[in-house]
Amino acid sequence: MTRGDKFLAAAILLTAILAIAFPRLHSSLFPVATSSARAVIKAQGKIVREVVLSDSGGRSTLVVNGRAGPSTIEVEGKRIRMKEANCPDKICVRQGWIEKPGDSIACIPGEIIVRIEGAAPLDAVTR
Amino acid sequence: MMEKKGRYLPPLLLALLVVAVVTAPLYLHREKEYKSDRFLMDTLVSIRACGRDEEKLKEAVTEAYAEMQRIADLSDRFPAPGSAAYKASDVCRINENAGIAPVRVHREIIEMLLLAKRYHALGKGAFDVTIGPVMDLWGFAGDRPKVPPQGKLAEALSLVDSRKLIVDEQKQSAFLERRGMKLDLGAVAKGYATERAARVLKSRGVASALIDAGGNIRVIGKNAGKRPWRIGIKDPRKSDGIIAILSLMDGSAVTSGDYYRYFETGGRRYNHIIDPRTGYPAAGNMSVTVMAENAGVADCLSTLFFVLGAEESMELAGKSGGADIFLVTADRRILHTPSLKGSVEVRSGEDYRHDQGR
Repeated sequence: MTRGDKFLAAAILLTAILAIAFPRLHSSLFPVATSSARAVIKAQGKIVREVVLSDSGGRSTLVVNGRAGPSTIEVEGKRIRMKEANCPDKICVRQGWIEKPGDSIACIPGEIIVRIEGAAPLDAVTR
Repeated sequence: MMEKKGRYLPPLLLALLVVAVVTAPLYLHREKEYKSDRFLMDTLVSIRACGRDEEKLKEAVTEAYAEMQRIADLSDRFPAPGSAAYKASDVCRINENAGIAPVRVHREIIEMLLLAKRYHALGKGAFDVTIGPVMDLWGFAGDRPKVPPQGKLAEALSLVDSRKLIVDEQKQSAFLERRGMKLDLGAVAKGYATERAARVLKSRGVASALIDAGGNIRVIGKNAGKRPWRIGIKDPRKSDGIIAILSLMDGSAVTSGDYYRYFETGGRRYNHIIDPRTGYPAAGNMSVTVMAENAGVADCLSTLFFVLGAEESMELAGKSGGADIFLVTADRRILHTPSLKGSVEVRSGEDYRHDQGR
């Protein structure tokens, strides 16, 4: 090995160890595209749909069958909301759009959860 | 050419080998997070727990849910009379025997009732779990809540009085002295169950966890990043807004607000938190968040302080032993106890007035 080789080996070694040992450094060295988030939709305990939320995505609706009957979920670019629901209280519809990672809509009577995945700035929200 | 390429191979292989050896233990001992949701107590409960052994975390979390379910079943007020769930509910049996006889109940119900009686006394009647007859008239538990006729409301209100709720710790019994009286543990059961779940997790050796029971938050230790948990307080008027951020370790944050369960009629908003002294929804605050170590205490206090005026609440918070409050009044003032200063970050913008130094 020449001096250059040794230097190369040491450099690779150091970077790799640091990157693996400190995940935060890892993500800053190899940034993942964060322009599109993902919403996971669960109904009655099972994941029923995963939707990509991105600026380029247009407007679309999908129907999910909850415990209280079918509910209509609307996606518009990066936002998602419960548009119509068969539940009695409509608290889920009243909540409106969500768009930040960590945000969620829960329809209690319908047992439906819409949650935006990704690194959330907050661990939870009290309400 | 060939020779030149080959020269790089040994150092590269060596580097990879060293990386593997050095980082393998880091990978094996890295903290894992176990997360799950359950629909429980008329809300969504999410528990997340961090630790080394994912199997153990899963077991602990499953057991915590089971404990919450047990408390929910004991305190459920609405199963169909005669059903198995009705017979399993201590609250149903107490209500059924109002004015007749004391009923032997589980220790957990005794604990909740004692907690409730303590805050009834502290709040001079502004917190009352015998509110059942009034809640039934408003119908917040059903699909169509409505403003009750005045005569009926006055009649129901005459049955609301926690001093006539007799709790005997020795005999482990509870008794409502007048016929027609009804317990409603809506302001304490969720918080109490959350606290019990936290105890289960701790007894199973979980050192880092967050329980979110429909916005009632209880945390154990620090978060996965080894920092205090960052908990947002919802903006009471912006559907996805945050009004403040709290740093929380080993404690709970519970909010009572007028924006989640309410109905509007004749241009007025009627929320589901009824002032037991008047029979009408409390109107002085938009939201009250209480931080206390025990989630059951925080649940009672957030309801009590929501009903009381802001100034009175600030004063009582000092007397109620280690509880902090963050409140947003109906006229858009933000107040919080001075001891919160280092652990709250207010993000109200121009919509609210933040009175510093309170």
